[in-house]
Amino acid sequence: MSDFPAAFRCEWRKTKRSLGLWLVVVGAFFTPAIVTIARLINHAQLPALYAMDSFWSALWKSSWESMAVFFLPMAAILMTGLIGQLEFKNNGWKQVHTLPLGRSTLFFAKLAVILVLMALFLLLFDVGIYLSAIVPWLILHAFAYPQAPLPLDAFSQQTMLYFVDCLPIVAAQYLLSLHFRNFLVPIGTGFMAWVAALAALSWKFGYLVPYAYTLFDYLQGSANARVAAPLIDVHLLAAAYALAFVVGGYVLFIARRQKG
Amino acid sequence: MLSIETHGLSHSYPNSASGLKDIDLAVPQGSIYGFLGPNGAGKSTLLRVLLGLIRRQRGSVSLLGKPFDTQRIAILREVGSLIETPSLYEHLTARENLALLREIYRVPQTWISDTLHLVGLADSADKRVGQFSLGMKQRLGIAIAVLHRPALLILDEPTNGLDPNGTIEMRELLKKLHRERETTILVSSHVLAEMERLITHVGILAGGRLRFQGTLDALRGAEDARCCVTLRTDDDEHAIATIIEEQPNARRHAHGITLPALAHEQMARLNRRLVERGIGVYELGRRERDLEALFMEYIQ
Ligand SMILES: Nc1ncnc2c1ncn2[C@@H]1O[C@H](COP(=O)(O)OP(=O)(O)OP(=O)(O)O)[C@@H](O)[C@H]1O
Ligand SMILES: [Mg+2]
Repeated sequence: MSDFPAAFRCEWRKTKRSLGLWLVVVGAFFTPAIVTIARLINHAQLPALYAMDSFWSALWKSSWESMAVFFLPMAAILMTGLIGQLEFKNNGWKQVHTLPLGRSTLFFAKLAVILVLMALFLLLFDVGIYLSAIVPWLILHAFAYPQAPLPLDAFSQQTMLYFVDCLPIVAAQYLLSLHFRNFLVPIGTGFMAWVAALAALSWKFGYLVPYAYTLFDYLQGSANARVAAPLIDVHLLAAAYALAFVVGGYVLFIARRQKG
Repeated sequence: MLSIETHGLSHSYPNSASGLKDIDLAVPQGSIYGFLGPNGAGKSTLLRVLLGLIRRQRGSVSLLGKPFDTQRIAILREVGSLIETPSLYEHLTARENLALLREIYRVPQTWISDTLHLVGLADSADKRVGQFSLGMKQRLGIAIAVLHRPALLILDEPTNGLDPNGTIEMRELLKKLHRERETTILVSSHVLAEMERLITHVGILAGGRLRFQGTLDALRGAEDARCCVTLRTDDDEHAIATIIEEQPNARRHAHGITLPALAHEQMARLNRRLVERGIGVYELGRRERDLEALFMEYIQ
């Protein structure tokens, strides 16, 4: 494991110019960009909006809706799939497995890169939310900077919880994308699991679907939530699922008969 | 010392009757070992097994004097390989493809340019690999295998996709590595002719078994012993009876008689004896060595 930093750097270099990295950047700024454009168009309402006490939390809430329901699960599914697929697509596995590295180092270095990209995705999204508040103000210059204090602590804490919520998706997709040569298998499975999570939302055991936690996290906070209240803390459940999928993925990775 | 040594190595794919059976491979240190066999013989499979990419079912593997099972990482540090199509990240440039390996092997930065130069890709170093031709990809595959200056190179059909000129360059490159870095090279191919001017040792694999293994000279010797002199007379039946007294390995065929290599004076004496017995000799020749024909016999 002392080779881990080198293995991580090696894996990280593979993401340069890759579709997975593009997805992270474009995906993170998509919703904030839409919000910014919408504000510039409806600029008449902005002075009142920017003067509100709840300015930041309202912006946060509305930005996170599409993120928690759609973009975050999709990014986890697609990005993990794209990074895993880099090897199959480029006949890379046989090269990777003849590097002087332990198999666990290989497995965890790649997983670490995916987790870093996922964290980057969330970080860029948060930056994007901030920019979607600042950019209309800078461009229009027709009203004061929001008076409400920016609740940085609360926001970063919530971001971290969302990160935990998407871990089961990342871990399950990682397992699939290491195992199946065909890119469509992990993507298709992931998409179906996400649809299943949506469909099971109001079912009383809906919170047991491992792809549901970003949804639950968001909907739990809303007043008119139609979701069944989970009996167990969803973040804890998410972490437990993630751990189980990582262990499963690791076992399959080690046991694979033909490594490349 | 042997750089590669296997004992009783066996492997078969699930649901497959064929497979590698009892392979005792012995690649001496400092050799260029040509690993030959027809399509589907199991060459790539064996090379994969050597590198731990597929688990063997039976037998032992040692590389560079170390058992593979217990010293995998230490061994792989000194081995470079190219199995079938090269592993290249097409969205990266040639230089970037080598740079990511440099992280692992921890070699000096300058070795990247040196290696690209060595394989003739210096001018395309910063071009994306997705835009490379087949031959350029093959060269980059070699560059990846030799970047860390391994003591042992395992190459599976490295001339795949190279034009005649590229094939010659590849041969010269391998010779150079062998000469200057004392690299032991195991290189597979299905054409003996392409290898003959490169290799020092030969292994012939067919039907999952090693049919021949030894130096190239030993293979040539086997060819000499088999047939080198051809003879045609007006009475082959009597001729063979005469020849066999002195040359028990002589054989009569539909188109004459063949016998092992003979010294010049032996050939002259043979001719004299035949003529003395009234047999008309109208062709007595030395056939050129035909390793390819021998190779074909081994693989059938
Ligand atoms: N992944 C696999 N699963 C099952 N059988 C396989 C697999 N790969 C190869 N085989 C079979 O194993 C045998 C040997 O294949 P291998 O690729 O080792 O041959 P080869 O000697 O390298 O041939 P070539 O000269 O065409 O490269 C073939 O019969 C092939 O069909
Ligand atoms: Mg092959």
